[in-house]
Amino acid sequence: MSSLVGFLSLVFAIGINFYLFLSRYIFKFQKQKFNLFIRFSSLLTLLSFFSLMYAYVVSDFSNYNVFQNSHSNKPLIYKISGTWGNHEGSMLLWLSILSIFSFFFSFTKNIEDDFQKLTLIIQAFLHILFGLFIVFTSNPFLVNSILINEGLGLNPILQDPGLAVHPPVLYAGYVGYSIVFSIAIAGLFQNTDNEWLYVAKKWSLISWTFLTGGIALGSYWAYYELGWGGWWFWDPVENISLMPWIAGLALVHSLMMVRGEQAIKKWIVFLSILCFSLSVFGTFLVRSGILTSVHSFAADASRGIFILLIFFIVTGFGFLVFLLKEPKKSNTLNLLFINKVSALVINNILMIIATLTILLGTIYPIIIEVLYNKRISVGGPYFNSTVIPIMIPGFLLMSIAPILSWQTNKINNSKKYVLAFIILSVLVLIQSYFLDFNTWGFVGLLLGFWIILASIIAIFSSYKIKINIKFFKIINPHVAHIGVGIAIVGITCSSVFQNELDFNLSEGDKFNINGKTVLFEKIETTNQINFQSLRGKFLFDIEKNQSKEIEAGKNYYPVSKMITSEAGILHQWNKDIYFILGDQKNNEWFVKVLINPFVSFIWLGVIIMIYSGLIAVTRR
Amino acid sequence: MNRIIILTPLIILLIICFFSLTYLLSGKDPNKPPSALLNKNVPSFESTSLYDTKEIIRTIDIKNRKTLINFFASWCSPCKIEHPLFFEIGKKYPELYLLGFNHKDPTSDAKKYLEDDGNPYDFVGVDADGLIALEFGVFGLPETYLINEEGKIIFKFMGPITKDVLKNEIEPLL
Repeated sequence: MSSLVGFLSLVFAIGINFYLFLSRYIFKFQKQKFNLFIRFSSLLTLLSFFSLMYAYVVSDFSNYNVFQNSHSNKPLIYKISGTWGNHEGSMLLWLSILSIFSFFFSFTKNIEDDFQKLTLIIQAFLHILFGLFIVFTSNPFLVNSILINEGLGLNPILQDPGLAVHPPVLYAGYVGYSIVFSIAIAGLFQNTDNEWLYVAKKWSLISWTFLTGGIALGSYWAYYELGWGGWWFWDPVENISLMPWIAGLALVHSLMMVRGEQAIKKWIVFLSILCFSLSVFGTFLVRSGILTSVHSFAADASRGIFILLIFFIVTGFGFLVFLLKEPKKSNTLNLLFINKVSALVINNILMIIATLTILLGTIYPIIIEVLYNKRISVGGPYFNSTVIPIMIPGFLLMSIAPILSWQTNKINNSKKYVLAFIILSVLVLIQSYFLDFNTWGFVGLLLGFWIILASIIAIFSSYKIKINIKFFKIINPHVAHIGVGIAIVGITCSSVFQNELDFNLSEGDKFNINGKTVLFEKIETTNQINFQSLRGKFLFDIEKNQSKEIEAGKNYYPVSKMITSEAGILHQWNKDIYFILGDQKNNEWFVKVLINPFVSFIWLGVIIMIYSGLIAVTRR
Repeated sequence: MNRIIILTPLIILLIICFFSLTYLLSGKDPNKPPSALLNKNVPSFESTSLYDTKEIIRTIDIKNRKTLINFFASWCSPCKIEHPLFFEIGKKYPELYLLGFNHKDPTSDAKKYLEDDGNPYDFVGVDADGLIALEFGVFGLPETYLINEEGKIIFKFMGPITKDVLKNEIEPLL
């Protein structure tokens, strides 16, 4: 029953959007009515999504999708998250988020009616494309032909609270760019005044903030669930999310700085199209199963071709409109050796190069396999040695960019900055001399601390310190950059100064980590509701009274016959101690311990970035 | 010049779409890497017959004749799907040697399976512990290998073969 409701409301929603799309040419109607229809179709799409969720919650195995991906023994939260833990459901989530964005956009005030209408028509067009994709190739409402009492279970590696919320947040970022895309295309068609730029800014900030949150959740999940001790692996799916993130960052910066320059406006339109194209491309790469990664779902060529077609239509259409309706160039850029505009241009160029570099590395294996029928994999070494150096000049610049002037080459208090930079360099150099010297470590720490320090100097020397909301809005760009600086320090320390220790231990053994005694207490196996767990229990720092307990082990999911590893992590403010329980041999367990310094800084930096994203949305 | 810059995204788009489409249409599956064994000599094996433990087949026995090796099991439902096709192959190419390896199966189950669905193989070898499959690099059942007269693997297919695969990929090699 719920399947029928879901399917019908989905089809009906697509129908309404089709009608709205045609309304531009045939049956024209008023704004009020138009908006009403948009909202109605959004609600129908959501109804469709929630009927699928309902089928998951009540374990309605007459639905083929539920039967394939759920199990009645699963805890409620994973039944709910099971809705989008599979290809079909996640595409429906995609469409639902698109609808939600259209829904809220229909309430936007302060923009011309025609402009808003055109934007929503483009949204309706996207809704039709993805809606048809779901109906024809990925229908989550197929009904089982025979009666079945039990499902086949969900990929156990996805049974994790972090991962339950990761896809919706990430999708909100991806799909949010659809609005930015539609706004940009509508802007090209209507050549209105600059009002649309402010609207676009708000939406691109919202998308970017969601995307940041989504990527961070995913990478935090990889950190504690995959049990490899790292949090970023240059996995194709990670790269796919990083590309629109970087392009979106360039877009956000351009939007903040645009003051009517046509050249930047043109660039903004380009970036808006690029961001959404990359999002759709990412959806294609993941959903077609064309790249192997932890996210692999069953591959199906027809689906892949369909999304590729959507990607081709959307991107081709976007860039074609851009080509034909290119905004007229009237006033030129006020480029000086170092002012706000030139910093913005450098920032944009670097970010685009970084995006293209990642794009190349991500699709290179596909090209090679098509041409030479050889399987290669492009991973960390390529990306680390290309993307990071490309970004470094940008990092250097970002610390002072917010205080650069529009008109002149002058930097206020430039002496202070030079002095601060020199002192900092010496300090970091001394620090790295006493620790093992490592070039990347030195560069990373210097950059990170420089960004933090310069931003703080900028805040204190350029503004009057007040504690009120307005002040926080004014210093927001600096706060965002401090977040980046903190994250860079965390990234550098946790990757360059990571320490790995291997042990072979029997129960009751004591061993030493960083001068602290650790007791390998015991191995415990328990039966949980949908898995069996094996845990090694460790007591950290047993000489103190308040020794900390760490559990590391594995889970075995009998329904899907899969084993997942569960790392045990002791979080301290300056380091994570990361325990991985390996295999057993002759009563001895292999235990790997990773010491990851300052990992918490990465998450802290990301939280600050998300915070400033939110603040920036409220700022006009 | 400016025109070319603006055209670049469209050109990149075309290139990406071209390669992605070719990849998708080529039927490649990223989870199934090109076999390392292709064009290599068939791994050496020795196996007893399912029906008579005294009857033994070795690598040397398939020398000088085209052989189709198929890994199957009674517990493998996709194997059931491709099963009838082997009768077709056997009928159409009587000179082709059909060698089935029964993978990790109790003998009684395997016998019953071949009784119910018929036995298309010229020889059914037992691979009770999966060691032969390991040598061949079998990922999952069913898997099918074509060996030429020189004892080289010239074709490998994972998953149940279909009429299309038979017609477009196997028959041209026979």
